[in-house]
Amino acid sequence: MAGTGLRAWAGHRIRSIPSWQITLGLALLGLGFLIAAQLATERPRIRYTTQERAPLIETAIDLQESQATLSAQVLQLRDQILALEQQGQGTNAAIRELNDELEDARLAAGLIPLRGTGVVFQLEDSVEPAGAVENERDYLVTARDLRTMVEELWLAGAEAIAINGERVVPTTSIIDIGGLILANSAYLSPPYQISAIGSEDLYEQVVSSPGFADLVRARQDAYGIRIGYLEPEQVDIPAFAGTVTLRNARPAPSEAPAAGDGG
Amino acid sequence: MRRMRNQLTIAAVSFVLGLLVVTQLRAQASGSGLGGMSSQDLTVFVANLNAGIDQRRQEIAALERDLATLAANQDRGVVSLGQVRDELSSIRAYAGLAAVVGPGVTVSVAGPIDGPTLEDLINELRGAGAEAIAIGGIRIVAGSAVTGGPGDVEVEDSPLDDTFEVSAIGGAETLTGSLTRSGGIVAQVAATSPDVSLTVTPVERLELPATKRNLVPEHGSPRL
Repeated sequence: MAGTGLRAWAGHRIRSIPSWQITLGLALLGLGFLIAAQLATERPRIRYTTQERAPLIETAIDLQESQATLSAQVLQLRDQILALEQQGQGTNAAIRELNDELEDARLAAGLIPLRGTGVVFQLEDSVEPAGAVENERDYLVTARDLRTMVEELWLAGAEAIAINGERVVPTTSIIDIGGLILANSAYLSPPYQISAIGSEDLYEQVVSSPGFADLVRARQDAYGIRIGYLEPEQVDIPAFAGTVTLRNARPAPSEAPAAGDGG
Repeated sequence: MRRMRNQLTIAAVSFVLGLLVVTQLRAQASGSGLGGMSSQDLTVFVANLNAGIDQRRQEIAALERDLATLAANQDRGVVSLGQVRDELSSIRAYAGLAAVVGPGVTVSVAGPIDGPTLEDLINELRGAGAEAIAIGGIRIVAGSAVTGGPGDVEVEDSPLDDTFEVSAIGGAETLTGSLTRSGGIVAQVAATSPDVSLTVTPVERLELPATKRNLVPEHGSPRL
């Protein structure tokens, strides 16, 4: 009997709520969610409102897209050259030997994507609120944090490193511009994933180093910068997609190759 | 009358909802944090992107030339050893496997500098377009680490003297300008470590040695 009563009560209540109220309720729920999402998106970066920024932002977005397209083109051309070189070496021992040396040089220069054992560290901005007299920027991951992480990985024996897909090579600079971090002149979007290939105990080597302990103390403990890690079975590191053409440096005379052709 | 008011309320809420959905989607789509940058920072960012794009265009032009020569040689049934040697030589120079010469700057460092500050200096040089760097005669390559506290700095496990030189090959004017600009690394070090002095000198010809490290990976395999 009680069940029948409950169904009757529930039926009465549902009939008594006008449909517009349900619609309005749902819309207000969505509104609240979006306002919260918008506030979360904006925090904790400072926002500027000057009008001249709009065209600059559009230009920057267009240039980022162009840069990504050109990087893909560089990688594609290098793949085509590699394929042609391998086809053309035939049975000529001298060419085979040179191509082997070329492959080693390309591996050393970061021009070939790699797969192997290793670790992926992730650095994320703090979610803790900055105090009234504190600098909000201290609660964000900085270029120096990433450089420290890269340095600790090299020290622990990493053989190849990439940050959010940007290969770290001899000419890589990691810099702050405003609240952004750039590597190889490409914008890195948070969270920052630093992938490294090395021995199977690379992670243990890194976390047991005094430099890593200093980083955790100075950034995670003091400001809440979130430092996490993954140890996937295989780590993939992409090839460097920038220029390796030297404009000012040239091989020292003792290093210059002898010219010659073979068929 | 009441029904009309209800409809107007729903319409108003829907309008605000739509507006917020669009704003949120645009913010997610740009996903770039560009909204947090000042005009000045955006200008620097755009300049960086333009420089990166120029470099990539030049690289593409060079690669296209190489590809065309390779394809033409293959059609003729010949392989140019000279071309392969040139490419090998150029990549070895870039990677640090070969000694290199060229114009650039030397930075004389005196005083108890620490590892992170020296790392900042290297980063600044790279950002200004340095193509090859050596510290105290040790070539800096991918994998080189600079460590240690003030006056106790090591590069690749080799301790540095109290005074030593950082040499960088690149555009001498650009490198000098970047290091000595207002708020640049020289000014920063002068402000934060008054005991340390950095003296930048443009040089017409520097010679930097090859690295002694083996840079061919043992734990990673090519993923072609």
